[in-house]
Amino acid sequence: MGWEDQPIHAWMSVPFIAHTHHVPKEVLYSALGVAPREHDHRPLRAIARQQNRPVNDVIRDLEKAIAKEHGSPKAPGGAKEQGKAP
Amino acid sequence: MREELLAALSQYGSPALFVITAAASVGVPLPVALLLVVTGSFVAQGFMDVWWAIALASAGSITGDLTGYMIGRWGGSRLLRRLSRLLGDPARLKNEQKRAQRWGWAGVFFTRWLLTPLGPWINLASGASNYPWGKFLLWDVLGECLSVVLYVTLGFVFSDRVISLDSVLGELTWAMVALVVALFLGWKLVVLLRRKR
Repeated sequence: MGWEDQPIHAWMSVPFIAHTHHVPKEVLYSALGVAPREHDHRPLRAIARQQNRPVNDVIRDLEKAIAKEHGSPKAPGGAKEQGKAP
Repeated sequence: MREELLAALSQYGSPALFVITAAASVGVPLPVALLLVVTGSFVAQGFMDVWWAIALASAGSITGDLTGYMIGRWGGSRLLRRLSRLLGDPARLKNEQKRAQRWGWAGVFFTRWLLTPLGPWINLASGASNYPWGKFLLWDVLGECLSVVLYVTLGFVFSDRVISLDSVLGELTWAMVALVVALFLGWKLVVLLRRKR
């Protein structure tokens, strides 16, 4: 039950993912090209909608950023939820 | 559904928790344990106030339980009376009601936090068997507060692995229910065999 295996879902916010994956939230915001916000409770699907792209793409970008931050050479396993194109 | 509920909890916080726990206590199948452990994680991260979360989650659960009890009391007792007349054994119904009143506290208390899938049924059964509402409320409040504090604390402690924690808890809950059902059936079998001797 390690934190390394925690999946990323469309309902999660960027600060929540940063906490569960032990990475600074600024790294994740930067990976998504979004300006960091205080008390940001927006789920990933809302960010995906704003960026006009599927939520799976957003999840994949976050997984890559987390793997890079942890120095993991392997590619992330892929998105956990089917995204709906906005 | 699960995703929408978690997104609502993330965006609206404790008020969403009140609505969800109330609906779940009436019997709507919602993942309350998951929402409570995620709440614990939000509290650990400073997204939610712990006292508001505990107060509103407990209040929601108690409101839902009392609704179920009232439905059982006003609808269920009439139905039970009619059934007992139809089956022609009102004395037996009275005996069952007496037994329910003697052991009712345990049924109410343990289904709030340990055997949670049985909770809505116990609410209806308690109302239908005219279990005293004061006692029901006492054991309900104790059980629900314990449940909320327990799950929120677990989420707080394991705040970075709540999704894994939820699957472990879900399996554990159903294992407990299966164990209690197996013990009950075993006990019934022993009683039956003794009678036959």
